[in-house]
Amino acid sequence: MTSRPEFSAQTLSVLAALCEQPSQWQHGYALAKQTGLKSGTLYPVLIRLADRGLVEACWQDEPTPGRPRRHLYRLTAAGLASATGALASAAERAAEQASARTGTGKPRARVRPGPAAPGAAAG
Amino acid sequence: MTAAGRGAAWLLPPGRRDWIAAVWAETHEVRPGLPRLAWRAGGIWMLAREALLPRRLVKAALFAAAAAAAAWAAWPQPAVGHAAVSQFHVIATVLLLAGLPLLARRFFGPATASRTGRSLRVFCCAAVLAFMPALAVVEAFANLTPAQPAYRRIFADLQGSGGVPGQSSGGPPWAGEIVFLLLTVGYVGVILFLTSRRAQVTRSTLAIGTGAGLLFGAVMYAVAPLGLGKDATDPWLPGSAVDPLVVLAWILLFGGPAAAALLASRRCRRPDGTRPPYTVRIGQGIAAGVLANGTGALVVSALGTGTTALMLKSEWLLHWLNHGQQLTAVAAYRYEIHAGAGVNAYPAMLIFFPVIGLFMSAAAAAFTNPAPRQPYPRPDGDGGTENRIPVLS
Repeated sequence: MTSRPEFSAQTLSVLAALCEQPSQWQHGYALAKQTGLKSGTLYPVLIRLADRGLVEACWQDEPTPGRPRRHLYRLTAAGLASATGALASAAERAAEQASARTGTGKPRARVRPGPAAPGAAAG
Repeated sequence: MTAAGRGAAWLLPPGRRDWIAAVWAETHEVRPGLPRLAWRAGGIWMLAREALLPRRLVKAALFAAAAAAAAWAAWPQPAVGHAAVSQFHVIATVLLLAGLPLLARRFFGPATASRTGRSLRVFCCAAVLAFMPALAVVEAFANLTPAQPAYRRIFADLQGSGGVPGQSSGGPPWAGEIVFLLLTVGYVGVILFLTSRRAQVTRSTLAIGTGAGLLFGAVMYAVAPLGLGKDATDPWLPGSAVDPLVVLAWILLFGGPAAAALLASRRCRRPDGTRPPYTVRIGQGIAAGVLANGTGALVVSALGTGTTALMLKSEWLLHWLNHGQQLTAVAAYRYEIHAGAGVNAYPAMLIFFPVIGLFMSAAAAAFTNPAPRQPYPRPDGDGGTENRIPVLS
């Protein structure tokens, strides 16, 4: 019996987007564009990740004149480790499914769920 | 629209308000037109989801309706003396039921995810709300000085000769009222604590304690549906037919919490790691035992007081409880007034049953989960190796 994945596909896409530049703070709209998620999906995902201590959030220090301050997000250390593991697991699952479909028993191609996170071993 | 969204953010818990503000702040970055409208719609959707609008509003509306109905039923009639005490009782009880969960959330954290725990909270709230009007009906009757001399003699034997004929002295005096409110605070507070995440009471402990309590409450109610008054006890099991139930009730009073404690401590297989396992098991055992007798006391008090109140209002129930006997008016009054006085036993049960549960469960849990023996040095300095726990790695 296969265990249920820890994160949903939407959450994995957010984690993958945040993993691209884990030390950089990112805006919600940028994340929405990267992941293709609507605001009504993206923000609840971010809230759950923040509740679990995987994402940290803060308000912009110096807002653009005439614009409200924006909320910024990035992965915590625990979030980076968790995201790396989850993305690697997702890639393995995708590879297994692909190999099961082709019936070769071996993965034909390595599926990468998104940009590799720093510290995520390629091998 | 953004301003409305900002205003609606107050529907969210304080920790969530920043998030909705974050969505509105990003709106300026989104291309005007349909994309921006879609972005805002997503924010409103998130607001609705996070505010748990349906669940939270339905729960609040249900509580408000139940509390209003209970308060309306319990509100003292104009003819009742000491009406201020009764009015205070109604208002204070409703305020306590509304305020204590908020305080509990602040100090004990949110409610446990366990369905049993949440049901226990609802049951406790419902029992207190049901108890309030039932008690008001019983007290108004029990303290009503009858106008007819034949009735007044029966009344005087039980309640004393004071009082204005035709007028009720209403509820308990202020001291009694304070005791009732302290009981309410104690019960609601303990159940809120035990069903909070901070208490870390396991699902099985909650289920075992609640189950034992419901069984105990049902047996106690079968034994004493109209309090513990001499003339009002066991109306549906006359004579010696009730004796086996009485024996069972005694066994459950003392043995129930002990058995619940044993079972709950044995079922606790995954101690949290921050405390020694035996103290965690003892804690679970005590929680189960207190829950068992506390729930039992709450069940029998709410059902018993409710039955008595219904009997005072319904002649049919009075005759049914008396096996269809043709009671004279005086005999019926005697029966009712004794049943009304018998309700006074329930507060004593509410006080003493959980205390018995605490002691019995603590004893049972401590006896079956002894502290591991610590190594101690021998007088000759050898270190007492025979009592050491072997190190396996």
